[in-house]
Amino acid sequence: MKVSPFSPGRTAIYGVLIVGALLSLLPFVYMLLTAFKSYGDVVNNNQWPWPPFGAEVPQFGNFPAAMQQIGFDRQLGTPLFVRYFLNSVVVTTAIVIGTLITSVLAAYALARLNLPGKSLLFIAVLAVIMVPEDATLVPKVVMMYNLHWYNTYWALIVPFTVNVVAIFLLRQFFMQIPKELFEAAEMDGMGHLRYLWSIVVPLSRPAVLTVALLNFIWSWDSFKWPLLVTRDTNLRVLGVGLQQFKSGEGATNTQELMVFATLVVLPVLVLYFLLQRQFREAVTTVGIKG
Amino acid sequence: MRALSRIHIYLTAVVALALVATACSSSASNAPAAPAGAPTQPAAAAQASVSNPPTSADMVDGIQLQGKNVEVTYWHNRPQQDQDLLQSMLDEFNKSNPYGITAHAEIAGAGYPDVYNKVNAAIQAGQPPEMSVAYQNQAAFYRAQNAVIDLTPFINSSKYGLSQDDLHDYFQAFLDSDKNPQFSGERLGFPTQRSMDVMYYNTDWLTQLGYNGPPTDWKSWEDAACKASDGQNKYGWAVQHDASTFAALVFGHGGQVLADDGQSYVFNSPAGVDSLAMMQRMFKNKCAVEVPTSEKNGEQNRFGAGNALFVFGSSSGMPFYQQAVTSGGNFQWSINMPPTNGQPAINLYGASVSVYKTTPEKELASWLVLKYLGEKAQTTKWAVNTGYLPVRQSAKQDVIDAYKADPKWGPVADSYAKMVDWAQYSKVESPVAGYDPVRDLIDKQVMTRVMTDSEADPKQILDDVVNQANQILQENAPKK
Repeated sequence: MKVSPFSPGRTAIYGVLIVGALLSLLPFVYMLLTAFKSYGDVVNNNQWPWPPFGAEVPQFGNFPAAMQQIGFDRQLGTPLFVRYFLNSVVVTTAIVIGTLITSVLAAYALARLNLPGKSLLFIAVLAVIMVPEDATLVPKVVMMYNLHWYNTYWALIVPFTVNVVAIFLLRQFFMQIPKELFEAAEMDGMGHLRYLWSIVVPLSRPAVLTVALLNFIWSWDSFKWPLLVTRDTNLRVLGVGLQQFKSGEGATNTQELMVFATLVVLPVLVLYFLLQRQFREAVTTVGIKG
Repeated sequence: MRALSRIHIYLTAVVALALVATACSSSASNAPAAPAGAPTQPAAAAQASVSNPPTSADMVDGIQLQGKNVEVTYWHNRPQQDQDLLQSMLDEFNKSNPYGITAHAEIAGAGYPDVYNKVNAAIQAGQPPEMSVAYQNQAAFYRAQNAVIDLTPFINSSKYGLSQDDLHDYFQAFLDSDKNPQFSGERLGFPTQRSMDVMYYNTDWLTQLGYNGPPTDWKSWEDAACKASDGQNKYGWAVQHDASTFAALVFGHGGQVLADDGQSYVFNSPAGVDSLAMMQRMFKNKCAVEVPTSEKNGEQNRFGAGNALFVFGSSSGMPFYQQAVTSGGNFQWSINMPPTNGQPAINLYGASVSVYKTTPEKELASWLVLKYLGEKAQTTKWAVNTGYLPVRQSAKQDVIDAYKADPKWGPVADSYAKMVDWAQYSKVESPVAGYDPVRDLIDKQVMTRVMTDSEADPKQILDDVVNQANQILQENAPKK
């Protein structure tokens, strides 16, 4: 029986979903609108100070003001935003690539290889997910000092090139690939590595891209760790720059903070829109069958 | 088959390595921590008679710095513009000091908690900075780990210390605020800046209400706040609820947060009960409005928009209040001390700088940096550019003149001038280790409670929280 698209049940579901979507959009809308407000409109809590409800003009000057506020990089001759942005790009790219390499290999091993104690290893992987990040923060920082990685890119990148959530996600995805495929590939003379690279990874494209996207977001947003393990402004990333707008006992120029936040969030949004189909597919697949 | 086996072994090794790395990166909590406060370099370079840290002025006198080219780092939480200013001052110091000391300033976070976390991690790694910004209670926590040093011998050193004239020039209250009662009065920090919790008020609105000046006692203050409130948009008091606001009320009512000897919390005194009862009453009568903690500086925005008659806030925010009022309601405003019950009192803000246990040479070099930053020229420059108070009385007039000469400050200049005279009434909330969790208790179990529960018994609330706070105090007390 065909269900009418306007049945009461379906309408209610859509209604809830639309409300949820609008609610999740609110912070972004607030961020964007505030980025173009004057300080006076922020203080007076004017939600829409522009025509037709107000007489203000969008404050594009907030963008150069925010750049000035964040400081200047004498070495590059640019606002520090550029330095922070480049560092975020370098660190995030390295982490995404590193995570993909380690998690694809580990996930394949856990999904396909006949390793002694494989189940135990998998439980160990899952157990790591349960450990709160804050509990391991200080020991990890101490490790960075002891390895003489403090204030280097190594400290920003290496600890995050292995990600247990990524291993778990990929392992669940790899498990769904029929064993017969490997047997056929083996008969064609393929080894594990070639099979992984030529068959498994292409078939798991949504999961791999999801892992890449999630790690991109986690790395791009990072604040606490880069702050703890660096001291030079030259090594700081966007998250650290963003926090500087909130520093001090005095106040925050909210409109400049939102300008900076917009610039930080923009690459994540662009990437998400580019990868949303794969992301949805991977989450759905793993969620239902995993 | 053999090739397959090799690949099998290879993959197994990779997986094992990946898992080991994962475990190392994510669950290294079992890794043994380096001894707290361990020197970064052997102290052998110091003269044999000098202990680390030096415990007497004579020992400090005996430290030789010439030819050592000591480098020191100062972690702070100021934004980039202030970092540039600070480093420019340190560059001057680096050029002018006769000992070849090189000092660097580094941003270690956007707020005091960031710096606190970073310092704690560095202490655990045995590699603290030479200096960092630290509130008195944070310094006490570091001292409990034997990581920061007592600056008294350095201040008293005849060769490197402060003269009697210098000592008298410093605001005594600022200097005294770093004497820690938990550690026999050791000076665990040195002031290079200060601010205080002041009352901002809307002068125009007060005049409309029939007042010709800010109320100076709590009863008339509460009356004015209630007259101003309409219970919908406009309120007499916009309350940013944190422990510091509560402390300001307790001080204003003649009480204290912590006993003088630092051995117990005493904010359940009659002054504390009166403060809390007043707050509860004002919320019940809709004379006050809560500013959610998520709304950073919300009280400032409400004041700037002309929707709050009174707010309490850091004096370092004055330039921002000026900006908020000019951009918002555009009215006449000023500051005053919080009302009192006869005994003027003001909550002292602004962290000091603590020096960490490294080597006697680095400790002395750090002290010389602090001494330099506290000199009249530097404290004036810092105060004029940041909105903080200078730490020397001799800098007061220069700072006020600079404020008055700069049109961007507007009426802030007159307000600023008043404030410097209030330094003598300043009080410190709680300079003991473990105050941070107590602050949380005060916020969540004291202030939030009376804002939402008009029937709760203030005395009972305070007794309960003081009991918990004293337990935390005992747990964090230095081990004998």
